[in-house]
Amino acid sequence: MKYILMMMGTKADFDAYTRWSKEDLQRNVEFMRRFSKELKDSGVFVATEGLGWPQEAKIVRAGKDGEPITDGVFPESKEFLAGYWIIDVESPEQAYKIAARASAAPGPGGKPGNMPIEVRPVLGSHADLGL
Amino acid sequence: MKYILLMSGTKAGVQGYLAWSPKDRDGHMAVLQSIGKELTASGEFVATQGLAVPQEAKVVRGEKDGMPITDGIFPESKEFLLGYWIVDVATPERAYAIAARISMAPGPGGVPTNMPIEVRQFATHPQPKQQ
Repeated sequence: MKYILMMMGTKADFDAYTRWSKEDLQRNVEFMRRFSKELKDSGVFVATEGLGWPQEAKIVRAGKDGEPITDGVFPESKEFLAGYWIIDVESPEQAYKIAARASAAPGPGGKPGNMPIEVRPVLGSHADLGL
Repeated sequence: MKYILLMSGTKAGVQGYLAWSPKDRDGHMAVLQSIGKELTASGEFVATQGLAVPQEAKVVRGEKDGMPITDGIFPESKEFLLGYWIVDVATPERAYAIAARISMAPGPGGVPTNMPIEVRQFATHPQPKQQ
């Protein structure tokens, strides 16, 4: 069963992250590298990506002629995807366990960040929606 | 340049989609599939993934002993990721044009959904990334 683990945050969360000390950032990045390596070594790893800053995010809709209309204004409360992992595991519990590890990634001062990680099954195909 | 095009919606939005007629859904999916085929033919396609319905979402935080704490309660307004496309394109404008085409995919009665599509770059700063 494939699951996606998503890290999300508001712009304020991202801003706070940029104010972490170099040492704190380094510790966090090292944890994430090690975490990805462990996922690979244990054979559950499918994919991971980190996304760019929310400041670079655009919302796109089609105009009347189909041309893109872009907008970069979001509500303060908007949760931006920061990054994700896709894993292939035996059970939802295993996915939650792995998500808990990601949540415990070190924050300022090396304390666990306790970040919320959203966990969802991914669809093999649209038919999996059961329509 | 790699971009991720994110399609999001609230629980109510997803419920609305699940109530579409089979014909409307097929029409919608046919357009999305043809966009996928075109992107593959043009060499811009990297990946696409649909996610399970929001009802299956959990938020996980790590406890002190590393055991996961799961919670499935979200605010009504929460925007859930429904699916994404990753494209490798020459310019941001091309990413916006593709997003606009997705936004134009037909909804009930063949009328374009005009769904907002969030367009994001991948991280260029140190973040958890594929190695």
